Amino acid sequence: MAFRSGDGAATGTGEDEWARLMAAAQGGDGASYVRLLTGITPLLRRAAWRRWPSAGADVIEDVVQDTLLSLHAVRHTYSPSRPFTPWLMGILKHRLADGVRKQARRGAHEVTVANFEETFGDRVANKDEDEHYDREALQRAIAALPDGQRRAVELLKMKELSLKEAAAETGMSIAALKVAMHRALKSLRRLLGEDE
Amino acid sequence: METERLIEVLGAHAEPVRPLAPVSRRLLAWFVPAALAVAVVVAVVGARPDLIAKFAQPDFAIPQGAALATAILAAFAALSAGLPDGRRWVLWLPLVPLTVWLGNLGHQCWWDWMRSGFTSLPFGPDYACIPGIALVGLVPAALMVAMLRRGAPFHRRATIMSGILAATALADFGLRLFHPVDAAAMVLVWQIGSVAVFTLLAGLLRFPRRGRF
Repeated sequence: MAFRSGDGAATGTGEDEWARLMAAAQGGDGASYVRLLTGITPLLRRAAWRRWPSAGADVIEDVVQDTLLSLHAVRHTYSPSRPFTPWLMGILKHRLADGVRKQARRGAHEVTVANFEETFGDRVANKDEDEHYDREALQRAIAALPDGQRRAVELLKMKELSLKEAAAETGMSIAALKVAMHRALKSLRRLLGEDE
Repeated sequence: METERLIEVLGAHAEPVRPLAPVSRRLLAWFVPAALAVAVVVAVVGARPDLIAKFAQPDFAIPQGAALATAILAAFAALSAGLPDGRRWVLWLPLVPLTVWLGNLGHQCWWDWMRSGFTSLPFGPDYACIPGIALVGLVPAALMVAMLRRGAPFHRRATIMSGILAATALADFGLRLFHPVDAAAMVLVWQIGSVAVFTLLAGLLRFPRRGRF
């Protein structure tokens, strides 16, 4: 059975090829690892959509990214003597369950409100949020943050973990995470030149 | 972060990893040192003097065999069910010998009750069973937890409970080699009761995530 990567190029017999690339990745071959992850991403997206058709595209992409991160963390548990796809789908299944639980938690505690364009009269409160948007500048600014602050931004804003989950992952207390996040936002404003 | 960028970052952090050994080899790697540790405790404390004769009695040999089988199957379940492609149904495997174990002791209790009446059942406090099982099971439990941490416990609570059931069942097997408590009611309540308490406690503990699974 042939599988295709995202760019449409055939990648050979999928199962065997992925097993071979995974074994190479376990040995530290970064190029094989990138080929593998690129090749399996479309499969993960399709499988996630099939199992959770009501989810939005951004939610599905979060699940796919969480699956790739989990694969990275547990790549030592794959054995070349076993098929690769069931191992991969096992990880996806767990990350999908996490995604569904997270959505249910959010839905239970959030209410959709109208998007008011102006809430306060002050000019500073009514800046166009795209005015200073520069993704690369933001990424550079985040990379320039001290370790603790950068970790807080990655976990709380990019991965959208709860404070409790981020505390469990980093070993930091919730209070320390809040302080790190507050300082990170101040630093980012300064680095991006938004302090007035 | 876009997925393509994430893949680049992960590719840049593809350090070599040591793959987990097959489950059968990991099971041996747990069972052999765990059984040796139990044997050392039995040797230090001193085996009961009638041990050989006891193994010739079905009332002793069957529950001991069932305890050992429970330990081995529970360890297998713990080591295999936690893998991403692990089958969840293996977690039910230890219930088979556990049922034999409980059933045999329950049957003996029933006969003792029929023969002597409920108030004449040989039963009394035996608080030594709880620390006894904890002492004998310490090394098997520590080994099991260390091995499970190396895996990826997706069914975290269930795999930890299976692991602790394995350690405590093995501990009870060892305990009966030197602790001369034979009344079925006593074994059922104090020894299997201790196994159940430790297993349930393991299920209530919160185990911090190591990295993001």
